[in-house]
Amino acid sequence: MASVSVSHLILFIASMLVAASVAGVFTDTVGQLSGAIDDQGLQISEDVRTDVEIISDSGSSAVYDDGTDTTTIHVKNTGTETLAATSGIVDVFVDGRFETDVTVTLLGDASSWRSGEVVRMEIEESLTTGEDHRIKLVVNGDEEIFRFRAES
Amino acid sequence: MGFSVSGSAALIFVGMFIAFGMWHTAATNSFERIDDARDDRADAALEQRNTAIEIQAATNTTETRTVNNTTTTTYHLNVTVTNNGTASLSLAGTDLLLDNEYRADWQSNAAVDGDADTDLWLPGETLAYSRVYDDPTAVPDRVMVATEAGIGDSSEVADV
Repeated sequence: MASVSVSHLILFIASMLVAASVAGVFTDTVGQLSGAIDDQGLQISEDVRTDVEIISDSGSSAVYDDGTDTTTIHVKNTGTETLAATSGIVDVFVDGRFETDVTVTLLGDASSWRSGEVVRMEIEESLTTGEDHRIKLVVNGDEEIFRFRAES
Repeated sequence: MGFSVSGSAALIFVGMFIAFGMWHTAATNSFERIDDARDDRADAALEQRNTAIEIQAATNTTETRTVNNTTTTTYHLNVTVTNNGTASLSLAGTDLLLDNEYRADWQSNAAVDGDADTDLWLPGETLAYSRVYDDPTAVPDRVMVATEAGIGDSSEVADV
């Protein structure tokens, strides 16, 4: 009789351990999934909130400086997301080539690139004067195109 | 045996309950965050569609004055822009570029329908910007005005 009780106790403890393990693994997995859902929600919300506009005048001859091989454009944050005013936040392509030598400067008395603030982007890349060129910016999935003619 | 099954079922049920709570909180927060972002974007898109400005004139007027036999020539840049949209604009949110150079302090030389103290630029009102140059080469060739929503207009400066 005592051996039956002991075997029942062993079975009970074993089943509790198995159930606790299953529940633990399940909650841990769902916890990780919830973290991923949270991160993705944040990322999508940032992408949706991000909107920038290139406000430079493409008709101006001062967009490209052939003396310093620098193209200067002004980009305004028209979204509701505050962006970092660094070259790391934006991918710049000039005539399809990815540019790494990009300097981003916050303009006016702004302390961060909030909504409504403007940054100046200076892209160092030698361009052929008298020809049409194209700059593409990608910020958090938002793409902007700027076409201009490099004048000497 | 009955206790084992009941206990295990209770443990697994509690685990599932906790897991559902975590998933539900994360999913609700994410959906709310995305929903808010979409609402803000829709508001911004509406603001953008309601915004329209047009540069009426951008001129460079030469003025020569003779005082005590000394002749001085000054060059007056005058830009007038009309708010043709239905959105109320703000001067603080509007940007001015002269020859692709950003002007941070342009609002101090601007007036809306003659009022130099206002920050509001309402539909139908005309913004006037003027600046005096001593050097004719410093007068810009082109003017660009961009609103808070990124809607802009540019024009060449005409000598009159």
